[in-house]
Amino acid sequence: MIGGLFIYNHKGEVLISRVYRDDIGRNAVDAFRVNVIHARQQVRSPVTNIARTSFFHVKRSNIWLAAVTKQNVNAAMVFEFLYKMCDVMTAYFGKISEENIKNNFVLIYELLDEILDFGYPQNSETGALKTFITQQGIKSQTKEEQSQITSQVTGQIGWRREGIKYRRNELFLDVLESVNLLMSPQGQVLSAHVSGRVVMKSYLSGMPECKFGMNDKIVIDKQGKGGTTDDTAKSELGGSGKQSIAIDDCTFHQCVRLSKFDSERSISFIPPDGEYELMRYRTTKDIILPFRVIPLVREVGRTKLEVKVVIKSNFKPSLLAQKIEVRIPTPLNTSGVQVICMKGKAKYKASENAIVWKIKRMAGMKESQISAEIELLPTNDKKKWARPPISMNFEVPFAPSGLKVRYLKVFEPKLNYSDHDVIKWVRYIGRSGIYETRC
Amino acid sequence: MPYFGSEETVKELKRALANPHVQADRLRYKNYITKVIRYMTQGLDVSALFMDMVKASATVDIVQKKLVYLYMCTYASDKPDLALLAINTLRKDCADPNPMVRGLALRNMCNFRMPGMPEYIEQPIVAGLRDKASYVRRVAVLGCAKLHNLQPYTDMDGSIVNELYALLRDPDPVVVVNCLRALEEILKDEGGVVINKPIAHHLLNRMKDLDSWAQSEVLTFLLRYRPRSDDELFDILSLLDAFLQSAHAHVSVSTLRLFLHLAAAHPAVQADALLHTSAPLLATCGSASRELRFAGLCHVQQVMRSQPGLFGTHYKRFFCGYSEPSYIKFRKMEILVELVNDENVALVLEELRSYCTDVSPELAQAAIAAIGRIARTYSEKCLDILTGLLALKQDHITSAVIQTFRDLVWFCPQSTAAVCQTVEACVDNPQDSEGKQALLWLLGEHGEQISSAPYVVEGYIDGLKTELSSAVKMELLSASVKMFLCRPAETQDMLGRLLHYCIEEESNMCVRDRALLYYRLLQRGVEETRKAVTGPKSDPSMSVLTGRQEEPISLWASAFNTLGPLSGRDLCLQTVIISASAQPSSSAEEELLPGSKDVTLSCPNDTEEEISLSLGPPLSHETFEKMWLDLEILHRQTLGFPRPKAAADTLQAALQLVKIQTLAFTPGDTVPWKAYLYTRGTGTLILAELLQEDPEAPGTEGSLVVSVKQQPANQHTIRGFVAIIKSVFQTLNFDRL
Repeated sequence: MIGGLFIYNHKGEVLISRVYRDDIGRNAVDAFRVNVIHARQQVRSPVTNIARTSFFHVKRSNIWLAAVTKQNVNAAMVFEFLYKMCDVMTAYFGKISEENIKNNFVLIYELLDEILDFGYPQNSETGALKTFITQQGIKSQTKEEQSQITSQVTGQIGWRREGIKYRRNELFLDVLESVNLLMSPQGQVLSAHVSGRVVMKSYLSGMPECKFGMNDKIVIDKQGKGGTTDDTAKSELGGSGKQSIAIDDCTFHQCVRLSKFDSERSISFIPPDGEYELMRYRTTKDIILPFRVIPLVREVGRTKLEVKVVIKSNFKPSLLAQKIEVRIPTPLNTSGVQVICMKGKAKYKASENAIVWKIKRMAGMKESQISAEIELLPTNDKKKWARPPISMNFEVPFAPSGLKVRYLKVFEPKLNYSDHDVIKWVRYIGRSGIYETRC
Repeated sequence: MPYFGSEETVKELKRALANPHVQADRLRYKNYITKVIRYMTQGLDVSALFMDMVKASATVDIVQKKLVYLYMCTYASDKPDLALLAINTLRKDCADPNPMVRGLALRNMCNFRMPGMPEYIEQPIVAGLRDKASYVRRVAVLGCAKLHNLQPYTDMDGSIVNELYALLRDPDPVVVVNCLRALEEILKDEGGVVINKPIAHHLLNRMKDLDSWAQSEVLTFLLRYRPRSDDELFDILSLLDAFLQSAHAHVSVSTLRLFLHLAAAHPAVQADALLHTSAPLLATCGSASRELRFAGLCHVQQVMRSQPGLFGTHYKRFFCGYSEPSYIKFRKMEILVELVNDENVALVLEELRSYCTDVSPELAQAAIAAIGRIARTYSEKCLDILTGLLALKQDHITSAVIQTFRDLVWFCPQSTAAVCQTVEACVDNPQDSEGKQALLWLLGEHGEQISSAPYVVEGYIDGLKTELSSAVKMELLSASVKMFLCRPAETQDMLGRLLHYCIEEESNMCVRDRALLYYRLLQRGVEETRKAVTGPKSDPSMSVLTGRQEEPISLWASAFNTLGPLSGRDLCLQTVIISASAQPSSSAEEELLPGSKDVTLSCPNDTEEEISLSLGPPLSHETFEKMWLDLEILHRQTLGFPRPKAAADTLQAALQLVKIQTLAFTPGDTVPWKAYLYTRGTGTLILAELLQEDPEAPGTEGSLVVSVKQQPANQHTIRGFVAIIKSVFQTLNFDRL
């Protein structure tokens, strides 16, 4: 259980402090500031022990969140709880920043009151919380709302309330993937994985029963076996394009019936209302790497460095990648940089020790290059430049893992709308996670 | 944060809150209240406003109420008499038709920490337990725990406890979990909440309704339940199977812990559970949040203690990202070292090499040490890399490489020749004292193989006046004397100078005594000195110690998924192993130190040459117990010293190093202290018990008594075994001196 929660700004000023149990003294707030925020060395561990008290801390931009406890608790749970806290706050007032926290400080105290009691997590679903704490605060409740709360917390399904009605039944599916890559200078893939999320926005009336299908290898294979399709034909299909993908592991929102998934690998559920994350998955096999970075670094004498970087886009020519940014690190003793690039804009940013090359749009199967001459100040320092990797950011309109949504069926037996009446939208977005090439 | 003008601020606020115009304007009034809370958060003492704040609690605005309650909870213990004024308002709110208001009032009333509170809250709590809104019941249940917390020494009303047990069947899942939590706190002295069969089964069936936090907690509570039969056990396990792969890392890890605990007697089930959880664990290790990644890595390390092969194929997952914080990188490197095998060694080493040039010197040094660990198995490749690193000519890297060489030479005598060649070729010497010590040790120990050794040592002797670290000086003395024994002609003159300086001018007593000791020793003749100084070098024929043994799951399962794995205890273990094993080389010197002369210590390695012990296949607790009861005590001896103060892990690691397995021991400082050991030697199985009686008891003087049983009997082996035990404990005791 959690003894207290503190939020600090980067200077160590306390923005929020809430103590839940009396074994946490008032000096705990200061102990953390002195020992962690104001400490000179880097953070040694996300759990710091000070005088038999454990501080679990998470840093979001400039804000420190710390959970304090004197008990031997489950560390992963506390961290996940802190993240949940952040999510809840984001859902209420957007980005977590010093200004936002100061402005919403009453609201945060209200939230802390509901989320934890006596240090035990009580209710952390944003949807349910919104019935307790309304944005404006000042609002006396009507009879109807009161009964809603009661049904909310006693109802069978904690994540959806009864009696939701929409004139237009609509749902949006976003497949959001982040592709991570670490590549050696020779172009060998050291590690690559895609972590993806399927986010659903549902605006459906009643208590709809949904069934979600994707090109999961296990399901496709099973169906293949069930039917009497020709084996050779199937292998040809598999050879021509990526028909199915192997998912390494996946996790679902609370609403998905896991027992059904385990037995027949079908994903069926009653969705919460509004936006939520249906599933989270990870793949490591047959990833489409949208870009390949080819670096060439040549040291010309002691005071000059020649860098040439080629990027190649590797997807269908009809698709467009956006927001491409390549970051080429430069040594600390750089005195001047000349850049020539064929496409986009490139700039040397001395404060970040990097050349930042931005391209707005780029079609598939294209290639672009940048070359730079870096002049160095002669130094006595014998230290070799560590050569940080070249990193890349981009956004592409497809799923690098190859995941495809095959169907999403909606059944609502009580109300009279059928699967065809529901308007469904699917969108794929692939973004770069940590996409690095060593040089 | 006490700051200037605080009194003024408080006065100003007080004036404003008491102003009827302000009170009439709801928005302005609330603004001032917000201000008070803001000052409170910043650490300003605003308790003087208590009276005015209590007045503000009488409002219909729920947000304002919440703020005032927050204020009152903070300061109620300072102003108990004033706080009582607020109780009436709160009690009235407890009967409000709105369940939210009822819950809010009850919760805050229970939060007041002051004497005399229990009598006011007991009745509303009992009423709350029967409230029709689950929101209020949740609050009331935890209120019971708070009530107990207010008066920890008075017994809780039995009817409340019974009511809580009954509420375990509540339809609302949060109420159920809160009941468990409350009962746990109330019944702490009696061992916590009782989980019997009906409760356990009820909880298991409700699992899927609970939110993830509650699931995790319930799984921990279920650790207390022991299924009656195997059938029941497997029913439970199959129910929980789905949770092994939960969306939340903490739930899957909690489930794994429960699995390991319940299936303690079924190793196959445990292995299966570990296999199932490996995917979610790996996913946590790659999670977007670095803190969760860290927690995941720590747990992977725990699992690897028993199943080193489980993550073998996924080694690439543990390559470090450039921007990751160093605490993650350290853990990943530790894991990588454990995962090395014939196929991936080249890639892992290549990866580790790239970390050696990291900006952070600490990380670079850790990477070098990691390569050194791998070098114990794959010496050639690693030596190439380490030699290459020396060419970078960076102080911190050179120093770390030399230290790694020192450890490597001890563990892996085969590599001595190559190391000596490299050290010879290395031109610049380390600058920090750790590195200097390592270099001097290498030069002293293997001086005959490094032709330039005397000149390097001479350089240090010449710079002695500017040397600050006494540890370096000590090492210099030892190295010079050792060198003198193998290359007298080149060393005699400078050894004289060194001893002269250390005896005449040195101000550090330790260094001076050491110099005097060597001086007296040399006076007794070269041969005497040689006998005393050159301890046994590690035996090249000895098999290489590769990694840790596979430990039984029970060793770590109990601390799994707590704070334990995240603390750096494992790291300590690593370093202890090294220091404990490095000890024999210098124990010959320790023997001669004044003050320890009365201890007659036979050099541990002498006895090791006579008998060879081996661990062989592990013995189970049951077999050990059976044999122990069947056999007669063959030998009993008082060792003549107390047990070492070292931690149990250290003891276990040290014993394992001399191939003695520790089966069990009493934890901590309990008296009498016992430990059970076993080992195999020259065809016999040796079982031993170490016993330390109460130090205060007459006759024993708190000394350790060892009793040995053997099958088949062999007196010679027993003597050897006892000698080894003795030397291990003496070494550990020295360690603490």
